[in-house]
Amino acid sequence: MTTYNRNTLLVGVVCALAISGIVSYFASGHPDGLEKTQEDLGAAEAVHGGLDAPLVAFNEYSLMGLGDGFWGNAAAGIIGSGLVMGILLGVGWLLRRHRPAGSASATP
Amino acid sequence: MHIGSGFLSPPVWGTMAAVSGAAMAGSLAVAGRRLDDRKVPLMGVMGAFVFAAQMVNFPVLAGTSGHLGGGFLLGILLGAPLGIIVMASILVVQSLVFQDGGVEALGANIFVMGVVPCVLGAVARRLWMRPRAGLLADVVTFVGGTVAVVAGATVVILLLAWSKALPGSVSLAQALAVMDFIHLFIGLVEGAVSVAVVRFVLATRREAAFGSPSLAAEEAAT
Repeated sequence: MTTYNRNTLLVGVVCALAISGIVSYFASGHPDGLEKTQEDLGAAEAVHGGLDAPLVAFNEYSLMGLGDGFWGNAAAGIIGSGLVMGILLGVGWLLRRHRPAGSASATP
Repeated sequence: MHIGSGFLSPPVWGTMAAVSGAAMAGSLAVAGRRLDDRKVPLMGVMGAFVFAAQMVNFPVLAGTSGHLGGGFLLGILLGAPLGIIVMASILVVQSLVFQDGGVEALGANIFVMGVVPCVLGAVARRLWMRPRAGLLADVVTFVGGTVAVVAGATVVILLLAWSKALPGSVSLAQALAVMDFIHLFIGLVEGAVSVAVVRFVLATRREAAFGSPSLAAEEAAT
């Protein structure tokens, strides 16, 4: 990977971390389009048995222990985007490893 | 647009889990056969970016907010199979770690925000793979991003109706009108952001997203 490639990727990572860690704190707190629609239609109450993931380390987008403020949100955003990136790099690595020998792989 | 827990009936979320599960299996199979090594870092970065962007709710109409979906953008930059894999990873993390979207509704959410917009984005991708993508590609991407969001919103209402999670006093047409009207505005932002990000990637990382013009022709032929 050339330095040029690494730099552009780094810009992407920094952007993602800045957006999830900082900009998201200033996001609108209004209900989103679906929640608002459900409220307007009088359909905001759950009517079937559902399954919510247990609250382990995060209470929605805030890290427990840091509260709902700026830092709780920043930690959640940075950990969340890092987690997604880690999972995808892992999936990519597995896919490459299991690729049948001789199939197309463009490596310049 | 994440469907929360308790809104879909078991037959509905079960069907959607099967549909999205099949789409995931197909995507992984295709990606396993021909994954361009240079796409892996782009997948990781775009996953982090779309996750981040989804956290930023912007105000739309009075008392309402919206956030980027990102599936359409991923379909353009990565194609449908990789786009679906990226979007599913984001939605799984959101649902299991951050309680955003019901766990049982995961299949439905992957379909609405992953499969539908990624497949539409992959159609627009063809225009961007041409050696010189012009105004047509921008317009199609802007309109397509809007259409992808409204299409997803429409599917959500159909799934809620099928689950009998809409009040009897509300007709399907009324529900669709309310949902699609709000998401038209969210979709316009989606379309604009999609154009901006694709243009940025085209200018800085064309090879990773669209390959060289000769590679692009090769992929278009398959």
